[in-house]
Amino acid sequence: MRKTCLGIAASVVMAATAAQAQETIKIGLIQPLTGSVAYNGKTDVNGATLAVDMRNAKGGVMGKKIDLVVEDGQCRPAESVNAAEKLIQRDKVVALAGAFCSSATLAVMPVAANYKIPLITGVSSNASLTEKGNKYFFRATETDELLAKSFAKVVFDTLKLRNVAYIGVNDDWGRGGVAEFEKQMTALGAKTVMKEYFEHGTTDFYTLLTKLKSSGADGAFVAAETQDGSIFVKQKAEFGLPVKVFGVGSWATADFIKLTGDASEGLYAAVPYASTMTTPKNKAFVDAYVERFKEPPGKYSAAGFNSLNIMMDAIERAGSTDAEKIRESLTKTNYEGPNGHFQFDAKGQATGFSVVLVQLQKGVPNVIATTTVEH
Amino acid sequence: MDFLLQLLANGLVNGTFYALSALGLTLIFGLMRVVNFAHGELYMVGGLIGWALTELVGANFFLALLIVVIATGAAGYLIDRWLIERVRNQGAESGILLTIGISIFLTNTALLIVGTVPHKVLSPFANKPLFLGPVVLTQSRLSIVAICAVLMLAVHLLIKHTTLGRAMRATVQDAMAASLVGIRTERIHGFTFALGTALASAAGALLGSIYVTQPTIGGLVSLKAFVVVILGGLGSFAGAIIGGLVLGVAEALWGGYFATGYVDAIGFALVIVMLLVRPYGLFSVKSERA
Repeated sequence: MRKTCLGIAASVVMAATAAQAQETIKIGLIQPLTGSVAYNGKTDVNGATLAVDMRNAKGGVMGKKIDLVVEDGQCRPAESVNAAEKLIQRDKVVALAGAFCSSATLAVMPVAANYKIPLITGVSSNASLTEKGNKYFFRATETDELLAKSFAKVVFDTLKLRNVAYIGVNDDWGRGGVAEFEKQMTALGAKTVMKEYFEHGTTDFYTLLTKLKSSGADGAFVAAETQDGSIFVKQKAEFGLPVKVFGVGSWATADFIKLTGDASEGLYAAVPYASTMTTPKNKAFVDAYVERFKEPPGKYSAAGFNSLNIMMDAIERAGSTDAEKIRESLTKTNYEGPNGHFQFDAKGQATGFSVVLVQLQKGVPNVIATTTVEH
Repeated sequence: MDFLLQLLANGLVNGTFYALSALGLTLIFGLMRVVNFAHGELYMVGGLIGWALTELVGANFFLALLIVVIATGAAGYLIDRWLIERVRNQGAESGILLTIGISIFLTNTALLIVGTVPHKVLSPFANKPLFLGPVVLTQSRLSIVAICAVLMLAVHLLIKHTTLGRAMRATVQDAMAASLVGIRTERIHGFTFALGTALASAAGALLGSIYVTQPTIGGLVSLKAFVVVILGGLGSFAGAIIGGLVLGVAEALWGGYFATGYVDAIGFALVIVMLLVRPYGLFSVKSERA
């Protein structure tokens, strides 16, 4: 599989290289195209492709076309490093975007620093990445910590949750999310009545739901991605539990809603992006995306779109493909995306953009509250 | 008390599902001495065909189940005659390598065709809560448990009380003697693998209506199925059922009274204890071998 994929990827790259004139600027994108999060990686690539095509249609950057070279990092550190090496050495890209999973991005960061190539991620949310002191690394998305800080108050005030159960997938992201939300909610005065974790790929949540039922919680915070989250939500409906559910992860996506059906009615989710956001920038983005890919964009589509736009803006401002100048220029980012305004702090962490609390009603994520990510 | 009853109900339902998803594995080992590492992937194929038929084609659930059983049974027969046939009687390793190869092939072919998105098999059973006293269940879970029981009984009768079943048992006990009395052992091997494959994919299609199914699900299914058959005794039919129920109830109680986060560990802890105390499992079939 890997060989075939790389083979296909290589031939695509070669065809693309042959077809394009010499005068292009290459940007490398590392995303998982195989493996368990391949679906999410693909939507990120779609968003990135759309950003590049829209820019090229307007004449490109510094009068040159942008050439997006996509590699499969499989969400694994080793494969992502291989992809980065290949993009830098063989394709001579001037900038990198990727690599989805925090562990994979963490492995690519020193490679980027080593070759002095700027690297931007729109997905990896582990807070420690921007604490590494890597000046070539930029993050155009929220961290788990910032998300919890921004949302705890909204959840406490709007949903009036007082006795809260915390449920998370048993990995660094799930445990981190639970810990951070619990801290913020407790500070506001909510009581923790249950705290449980489950493994990736869990098929049966009845035991957990039995506990949730007897815990007396009026709301449950759940950190889960599409597959686990959809099963949890369906089984909660089967169980007939009236507990409010507030989720983080990819909950407001078309696939999640399709998998859960009626069971998703009334769910709350905290997301950095929803296709129903009402900014004019978002409307244009959604229209273009739907026309091209026949489905509304999800949070990872927006992540890919934003990352590439921020990078292309930086190259344009730098007026050069010199890595050091692009890096300098990235620090002065002032970008207006579908989900708000992005600028980077000294550590390369973006702030100023919006995150939203949505409620799923009749299969549509309706925005209940919007808040801005600040330090 | 209500809490315990609900946990037991959850455990028994899950245990039945575990038993069903392990039957094909134990059957192929018991009657062919092949450790089938492609078991979870055959389960996955059944689930995906079930999804394609009910969701994309719009077929009736039971018709889809029947088509899954026949189609994968036929495929299983061909896998045996074309592939497993070539490594028969060449030691366990070549069989293991072959089935691992088949599992990689199936997963990646499925990924190429349907992608990574999880899918659900559509069933006619309602998912509304059903209250039996203090215990909550759903119509769909109860129905699938009933179908599981019928399937298990049917396979039991097939193996114990039909000419084909007797021929299967004769073949595994002594293939040479079986062929001397006129059993076409090559075909019997094919039929046995077909039966195991059909059971695995029937389980995938049935459970795909309760949970979800996707190309990468095979590994987890195989893992649980191995726990079940080691608990019950490799090759034992009754052992798989008891092993499944023990695992289901143990997981439910552990999750209910301790922490759900480490529930997968309980199965392996049980396996380690079992290997120390009764290495051949609860129902050893060692005596059946020639």
